[in-house]
Amino acid sequence: MVLLTNDEFLTELTKLFQKARVSGSVTMTMKRYDGRTKPHPRDGTPAVPNPKYKCLIRAQSSSKKISTVVDQEDVEKFSTAYTNLLKTSVNGLKRLKKPKKKAIAAQ
Amino acid sequence: MTFIPNWEEFERSAEMLYLRDPINTRYSMKYSHSKGVFLVKITDNKKCLQYKTEVQQDVRKVDKFISNLIRHMASNDN
Repeated sequence: MVLLTNDEFLTELTKLFQKARVSGSVTMTMKRYDGRTKPHPRDGTPAVPNPKYKCLIRAQSSSKKISTVVDQEDVEKFSTAYTNLLKTSVNGLKRLKKPKKKAIAAQ
Repeated sequence: MTFIPNWEEFERSAEMLYLRDPINTRYSMKYSHSKGVFLVKITDNKKCLQYKTEVQQDVRKVDKFISNLIRHMASNDN
């Protein structure tokens, strides 16, 4: 599992989407992360005393796995870049045509 | 695996699931271009909810939901 910076993650994710266009799928997972690097102590004290929450994002496609951690300061920037990436990459789905109600009413 | 047929219901249940246990809940999305399927799953290791779509219009709704989730996950509020 390769841990990257936010920008590198977005670049690699774009490449994953492009590679998976022919066959296979891209899976993305999001989870809250409190920054802990040690296991939970057995006596009940929390692993991180004052957690500063971040978001852990992982992506995988065929056998390539990448991940990144988004801090509170970078959330806005990452979120907009991420939604843009999804909008451009996830575009092979069906487009429903809504019947034009006005045209039908006019007839 | 519980599949929820409509998006509004999935969104409401997913939000409730996340707020009950924010640190253990994870949200997963799978996109398969060759099959034209977009799958969304949220679980807190006790309960699991899924939503599947083949429709382009749903991508925008999913987008909005995940950006809200990312924002909440990286913030300090509960």
